[in-house]
This record gives sequence, C-alpha cells and structure tokens, in this order.
Amino acid sequence: MAEHGTTPAAPAGGASPDGAPEGGGPIRLPETEHRLLERLVTAGAGTEAALAAALGEDQSKVHAAALALADRGLATLEERAWRELSLAAPDASLPDREVIRALDRMGGRGAIPDIPAHGDLDRRAVGQALRWLKARGWILQEGRELALTEAGRAALDEEAPDERLIALLRDTGPLREDAVEGLDVDAALALLAGRRVVRVRERTERRVLPTEAGRAAWPDGVVLRRQVNLLTSAMLQDGGWREVDFRPYDVRAGAARVVPGKTHPFRRILAETRRAFLELGFTEVASPMVESSFWDFDALFQPQDHPAREMQDTFYVARPAEARLPDPAYVDAVRRTHEDGGDSGSVGWRYDWSEALARRPVLRTHATAATIRALAADPRAPRKVFTVAPVFRRETVDYKHLPVFHQVDGIVVDEKASFAMLLGVLSAFYRKMGFERFEFRPAFFPYTEPSVEVFVWFDEKRDWVELGGAGIFRPEVTEPAGCAVPVLAWGLGLERLAMLRHGLTDIRQLYISDLDWLWRAPLCP
Amino acid sequence: MPVVGIQTDLLLDRLGPELAGQLDPPRLVRTLERIGCDVEGMGELRRLRCERCGNLTEHPPDHADPVACDRCGVDFRERPELLAEAGSVEVIRMELLAVRPDIFDPGGLARMLRGYLLGEAAPSYPVDPPRLRVEVDPAMGTERCPRPAIACAVVRGVRLDDDLIKVLMKLQENLHWALGRDRKHASIGVYDLDRIAADGPLRYRPVEPDGLRFVPLGHDPADPAAAITPAEVLEVHPKGRAYRRLVEGWPALPLLEDARGGVLALIPIINSEHTRVRPETTSFFIDVTGTGERIVGKALNVLVTSLVELMPGARIEGVTVARAGEERVTPDLAPQRVRLDPGDAARRIGLDLDRAALAELLRRMGHGVRDPGEGPFEVAVPAWRNDVLHPVDLVEDAAIAYGYHNIAPRLDPTFTVGAALPVEERSVGVREAMAGLGFQEVMTLQLTSEARTFEAMRLPVGERHVLLANPISADETMLRTDLLPGLLGTLAANTHRPLPQRIFEVGDVSFLDAEAPTGAREVRHVAGALCAATAGFADLRPAVEALFAELGWGLATEPDDRPSHLPGRGARLVAVRGEERRAVGHMGELHPEVLEAFHLRHPVVAFEADLTRL
Repeated sequence: MAEHGTTPAAPAGGASPDGAPEGGGPIRLPETEHRLLERLVTAGAGTEAALAAALGEDQSKVHAAALALADRGLATLEERAWRELSLAAPDASLPDREVIRALDRMGGRGAIPDIPAHGDLDRRAVGQALRWLKARGWILQEGRELALTEAGRAALDEEAPDERLIALLRDTGPLREDAVEGLDVDAALALLAGRRVVRVRERTERRVLPTEAGRAAWPDGVVLRRQVNLLTSAMLQDGGWREVDFRPYDVRAGAARVVPGKTHPFRRILAETRRAFLELGFTEVASPMVESSFWDFDALFQPQDHPAREMQDTFYVARPAEARLPDPAYVDAVRRTHEDGGDSGSVGWRYDWSEALARRPVLRTHATAATIRALAADPRAPRKVFTVAPVFRRETVDYKHLPVFHQVDGIVVDEKASFAMLLGVLSAFYRKMGFERFEFRPAFFPYTEPSVEVFVWFDEKRDWVELGGAGIFRPEVTEPAGCAVPVLAWGLGLERLAMLRHGLTDIRQLYISDLDWLWRAPLCP
Repeated sequence: MPVVGIQTDLLLDRLGPELAGQLDPPRLVRTLERIGCDVEGMGELRRLRCERCGNLTEHPPDHADPVACDRCGVDFRERPELLAEAGSVEVIRMELLAVRPDIFDPGGLARMLRGYLLGEAAPSYPVDPPRLRVEVDPAMGTERCPRPAIACAVVRGVRLDDDLIKVLMKLQENLHWALGRDRKHASIGVYDLDRIAADGPLRYRPVEPDGLRFVPLGHDPADPAAAITPAEVLEVHPKGRAYRRLVEGWPALPLLEDARGGVLALIPIINSEHTRVRPETTSFFIDVTGTGERIVGKALNVLVTSLVELMPGARIEGVTVARAGEERVTPDLAPQRVRLDPGDAARRIGLDLDRAALAELLRRMGHGVRDPGEGPFEVAVPAWRNDVLHPVDLVEDAAIAYGYHNIAPRLDPTFTVGAALPVEERSVGVREAMAGLGFQEVMTLQLTSEARTFEAMRLPVGERHVLLANPISADETMLRTDLLPGLLGTLAANTHRPLPQRIFEVGDVSFLDAEAPTGAREVRHVAGALCAATAGFADLRPAVEALFAELGWGLATEPDDRPSHLPGRGARLVAVRGEERRAVGHMGELHPEVLEAFHLRHPVVAFEADLTRL
C-alpha cells in the first residue's frame, strides 16, 4: 500500500473503489473504458449508438464506460432530445387533394355523393376529408353541396406543408426532425394534428465527448487494466489481484441443478411424531412385525370370529407356522375374559376360546400390539409408552391403499387417567404436528370404552378428515394384563397426515417414489 | 362398513313436530356425528321395483339400472318392462355401526334422538301372550343340522306401504350384517301371518336336500316348474347361490314349516313365495335363527321394537318356542340389569358429575336408572341394545350424552421421563450421515417376493424368510430380507430422472428365528446405491468408509463372490475396531443380469449392512 502512497490512516485495501491509484501514475482503465477513450480521442465525439457500433460493444456497456470516464473527468456526456417523424403506415396519404381535384373537374362545385365518381376516391374518404378541407379553407359546404374556395383553387397547384412532409417521409422513411429541409415542420404537424398519419416519437440521444483531460491523458496517461474471470490462489499470494479487474458475471443467470441428500419427507413426519411423544415424556417401545394372533387380537378382547380377523383382511403367516404364547396364567385370564368375562366384570363374548387360533402368526395389523405387550410386561402405574411402527392390512394396492402403513400408538397408565386426559394428550400431539382445529367424535372400537375418533380440519379440503382412533382400554383388556388403573390408548395413522401435509393424492408416492419429488420436497414446508 | 340410507321424511315424522322443526339438515348431521354416526351426506335415491317379485331397490340417481333382480334373479336387460320406477326418496347416508343396529332405521333413530335431545324416557313395549307355538326338532343344533338357536315373534296391526316395506328390508339387512355376520350368526325371516297355518305348532326341523319341494321367493307359483327342492334352491336361486356357503357340508338343511307342512323358509337361505309379505299384509310372523341364543334374541328385539316405532299401533305378541320339553316365550324384552358405580363413571370420563347429573345422562341414552342414594346405580339397559358387556359401556353412553365437545381436554399431571429406543436414535444418526454424504433417503415396502429377493438378485432361494399364508398378489408373498432390491426398484422407477442418483434406506428386514417368541425377528439394515453413467466400486467405497467411521468403526473390504455382484468387483464389508473384526454386509458393482432383471440401463454400485452389528 505504501508504494501507492496511501496514508497509514487509509482503510485496509486502500485502493479506491474504481481501482485507480490514489495520487500520480497512469490511470488504470478497464478494457471498455480504455477502448472508448481511445476512440474519442482519435475519432472524436459521437453518439453512444455510433460509438457502440464502432467498438462492436453493447450500447449498455458503452454507456456504463462513458459514465465511468465522465466520473474520472476524461469525458463528458451530452444528452439531446429530438423528434423522429415517420408515417403511421407505409402507404399513409391524405385524400384532401383528390377531393378538390374532383370538385375542380365538376366545375368547382357539386353534391357530396357525386364526388367519388369524379376522382380516385370512395365515399368514406370524402366524408373523412370534409372536416380537414374546411379547416384548410379549401371548400365551403352548403347543405349537401361543396364549393371550391379561392384558397382551394390556389391549392390545386401548390402542395401544403403537411402533404409535402408525407411525401418526403414516404421517400425517406423515418426522419429526425432536424433532417427535414425546405418545409416548416411545425406548420405541417399543426395541420396533421389529430389525423394519425404521421407519427412523432420523442427520442433522446447521448453524445460522448472527450474532455481536455481526456485528450491529454491519451495515450501515455492511461494503462489497460487486465480483466480476469477467476480469483486464484496465486493472485492472493502475490497480490496480483490488485492489478486486474474481475469480469462481472450475469448474476441473474440460472445455475445447474444440485440435488441435496435428504431424509424422506414421510420419514421426517415419523421423526416429528416420535419427537412429539418423547417431548411429552413417553418411552418408546417396539414389537415384532410377525405377531401372534394372541397379542394382535385376543389380548385386546377381539373375539376370535371378529371380522377384522378374517383371512380377507389380515395377512396370516405360513412360515413361521406358529407363535409361542406368553405366561399361561395370562393366557388363561384372556381366555376366561373372552368366554364369560372372567374377573373383569364383563359378561364376555360367550364362546369357546381357542388357544390354537391365538397361536396363529399374523403380520401385525396395528401398533396396539406393541402397547398391549408393553402393558402386560409392566402394568404398574404411572407409565407412558409409545411406538411408531409399520402395520399390515390385506389391501390391494391403489391410490388410497397400501398393504403397509404406519401408526403411532401410545398408552398412558395412570391412576388419575381419564377420558378428558386422553383428549388432552391427543390435542397436545396434533398441536405439535401443526394442527389448530380438531374435534373429537364418538367412535366404537372393540377394545376401548369410551372410544373417540379425532378429526382434523383441513382448509385446502374445506372438510374434517379422520386421522385416528383412541379410547380407554376396556377392563377386559387391562384386567387380564394385571392392570387395575385406567389405560388411555390410541392408534393414529400417519400416511394420511403426510399426504395432507405434502398435498399428495396418491399414497403410493410415499413408497414407490419419484426421485424428483423427493429431491424437491422442501425440508421445512 | 356398509352405508345405510335412512329416509329423511320418515325420520322427521317419527321425531315429532317439535324436534323436526329444530333439526335443519346441518343440525341433524351435527347431532348424528355427536352421537357417533359417521354421516356421509344427504341425497336423493331412486327407487325401483321388480314387477315380477315386488322387490324394491334404491339407487343413487347417477347409477346405472340394475341388470338383474337380486331377489328373483330376472334379467332386466331381457325383460326391461319388469323394472319399474317407484319414485325417489331423500335419505341421510351413514356408515352402519355394528354395535348399534338399533339406530339405523327411522324408528330406532328417532327413539334415540328423542331421548338424547328432549330427555324423553325410552318406551317400554308390551308383549301380548303367545298364541303361536314353534317346536324345535331335537336334531337342530346337532352335526346333522348345526343351527340350533331360534327366536320368534308375531307383530299385529301392521300397516304397510312402499316406504315401510323398504325400511323393513333395510332393517333386516342391517341386522344380518351387524349382528348376523352376513346371516352366519343370525338370519331373519318375516312372513305374512295370515298365510301360515297356525292351527297347530310350527316346526323348525332338518330337511334332506331333496326332502321336499317348495316355491321359493321370487318364483311364480303359477309356473308348474316353480316348486324346487332345497338342493335345487342352492343351485339355481340367486339367494341360494349367495348363501349356500353357510350350509356347505351339512347333511340336512334347516327348515321352518307351518302346522300343515307349508314351507315358511329354507333357513338361512330363502323364504317361500307363498308367505311373502305384501302391501296388504296386516300381521307378521318373524323368526330369527342362528348359532347362539343371545345374538338371535338381540336381533329379534331390535327388529320388533323398531317395527313398533315405525308403525304406531302395531303390537308385539310372544311366540312359544318348545325344545325337548323346555318352553320359553320370545321375544324377551326384559331390560338387562347392570350395576354402575357413579363415582367410577365420573372419574373415568374425568368430569365432576354428581349422581343426579349422571343418572340424567344415562336416561337421555335410553337407560332406566334406579339410584339407591348410595352405592352403585341399578341401570336397566333396553332390550334392543346389544353392546353392553360391562358397566364401562354405560360410561361411554354418559360421555356421549354429555357431549365430547363439552369435555375440556386436560393434560396428565403425572411426571414421567421419556426415552427413545437406541435402535431408532442410531437410525436417526445413520440417516443424517447418509444424507450428508449426498444420498437421498427412500422408503420401500416391507412386502416383497422370492422372485425379486432371490431370482432377480441371482441368489439361491433362502430358507430364513417369513412367508405369508394368504398373499394378495404374487409380488407380495414374503417379508423382505434385504433392502437392496427395494432400492433397485426405486432406481427402476426413476430411469427418466437425471443421473447420478444416490439413494439409501434405513429400515427393518425380517428373518425366521426359532428363539424369537413369534418365530421371526426384525433386523435394522442400512443400504445405499449409486446409479450413474459410470458407477464403480471406487465411487461408493469412500462413502461406506465414511459411514462406518461415523459409527465408530474402520472398514475393510474383503473379496467376496456374492452372485449379485460382477465377479471380482464385490466385497464383504468388515467392520474393524482394534482386534475386533465383524462381517456386517456387502458392497459391489451389480451384475448386469441383476440390472437387466430390474430393467436398469446404467451401472449401479451398492452396499447393504446390518446396523445392529455396527
């Protein structure tokens, strides 16, 4: 910095913003400015358009360079306004002269309807010309008759300024006003006012002129600043970046697409779900996908002839062929509850319960299999448990159904647990998932009483959407498991929630995914 | 669940002018939702009559005409003149609740709403002394003819029109579905009493498949060929074909006949044409048969009480059912007695309800309540309710009467410490690492096939995979044992998307395990794949090594000859930590035959590892 004579007080990187050294030495000019100054000094002043053509540059770049030279005091800009005249249409003309010629042929007067027959005219043109002919003072109208005036006769031999302007423009094409010679342009335009024959455009033009300082600086007072594309490590290490200009980029230009690595949008909803329940103080549990009918159905007091257990709705497993049952005392308590209510205070389903059917393995049909297992393993209150798990139903794949989907199931085992508290947990969960409006409606499930369904309001659909079921486990479920306090329980589907949040109409999109959708799905919608 | 259309004008008529005036359609829908009905909407149905058998059916206006009568089977395409318009009706459509078939006809629903909204006490229905007697053959319920249970009733003072005939049909269908499991556990017959010879006992007995001939419902009695045997009914009659599975393998079929041997019905298939209910019928004979007395009795109770609600002035008359010297009179409309502790009930709901308030809520739901002042209530549950197994079922009724919308949600006051499963937290970390390495997560289904798991991957069919007993398609016959085929399937579905494609999945695969309680267990895996115009072993290995490092392991890759890989370009993934070396997975360039099997046209290099061993 010292070599450029900056004072110690100057800010770091002491070159002035335009890169000109402060004090003495040749002025460093970027390429376009350098070339423009050369042109101005050697070929003289010119308009920006002409200079751009001469330099083979964009006019916008030349303008920017001219402004920069002006800033340095090497050039000045002059702005001039002028008018450009042109014909509104290439064949534009006035019918006026043809009308007076026709009148002349008719002996100086005649009825308006007869005029077209005496000239190269149609009725419309005659009608349109009347007003202007009167304004020129070429004719007088008496009823339906027109008469040529003295001025009109005189005009037969001498064209008016507007007619001459039109003729001129027809020959030359668009003209600058100051290029029109031999006629009074203002008078011509006054006559044409309101006739839409000649178009007038206001134009401005900038001329760039070299200043004395500019002439004096060329060629020895300036040097060309090199323009480069890339800032390199070498330039930083040897300070060479100070000697060059960085060619500006078109920062508005688009760029090639980059696809980030991300988690799956549905996985993020599953993760949010887990986080919600962890935040609420729940402990996460899991259970096997291949589940015994006992845990999936019997322990939940679903009678063995319940339609949900039919082959039509549930995937049964051929291999392994049989599942083991838990503690015989528990199995027996479940049996008695089904058969006659056992010790639960219920009348039971009143049929002969089969242990063989309970051993049949199924693909877990709901995540409640995990929570009832957790309850039976440790029925002591207080306890809060949840699971997020894939479950299976024997559905044919279509846009609404898949044989696999995810549920979050949870239980609260608490002496003070009540239905109102169940509604509280569900409200807390759905609020955490971003829903503000929901309502609870009665529902009927075989293993909860009272039971409730949660409906969430979706603005886009203008409707309530059912998202899950919940209730308090029946005594027929809790009593055999050794639990004497109320157990709140829920099983909430998550795919539908995900589809609504991501605006999907086809559930398959979640599992047979279009990578483009995965790449585009926003991380924080 | 089936959707039931309840005729709106009949409902409003049964509600009485006061309620009908209050319940505009939106309020009616709201009210129904608040008592637990899933309302699909309101709309008009077109009613059509089969002119041959009188069968009435209802159809949405935009549906095509039925091609055949579902009762007599006549083909309307051949005999279009037999399909007649019978007007249109406004209905409210709701999903039928299996536990509450008593509120899916205008009569039963109006009864419920009058109590719920007006506090009107549930009616009691007198049962007149029996005049008819049904004798049950001792063979009923044996292996020869295993349908033991029967309950009967007579309803007199019936006045019918098209609307009521249709309601009666729907009520039967509702009960068949909700309580009868499609006639398996209970099936209902309704007959014109005046066409039954009742000068002696009716008989419920087994009949040989070719033991007699009768004219089934829908057959023209004038046709000499109309009378057919039970075996022929099962062969040719539409209802026979629809329900013969219920009697498959039975040596004899259940038959109900009158005192002179006239057939009422071949049970649970079809009634006789002779006893068919007609618009001019004034008295019904009704039977419900099935596998158990409880369900059969409940179905009969719902039916006869709703009929009285629908046809004011009708009277229920008992029928004596005699079996092996034992006699009882059906229907039994005595309420079910349940003891309910009011304190328990209020605590379960979470409301501060005093005894009187709770009793009032129960009365609004149709229950009789006797409050002895202390100790439990004596609750009389109406005979048409089938869903009260335990006192908690009454708690739900009280909560519904109170209104779920009036219950303020509250949070659990008990402090608990939450805890995540380690395998899930580990999976979160692995997903983060894979995403950071530029891989996009995908999720694929757990269900797959042997063709995809083994054949497409050039692997011998394994013996450790879980097989389904009742797969729904050939593509989904087993639980996956590897994630990789799912990744290849995803790549195959995205061949039109730009390359390179880097994807991964973290998920469970399943294996048989005799030690596991259910015989199988899940193992958490991670797999990743890179598909690009040039994708080689060296392009993926650094990412795998980086992932292992994130999990605290070094990576050694040892030559392996897994047939899925190009020979010489596959490796075993060995996790290394100090002296410890664990084979945890594999990686390699996939064999072109594998790529062809998945219709992939660009090379793929992939890895899969067992996360539980890393």
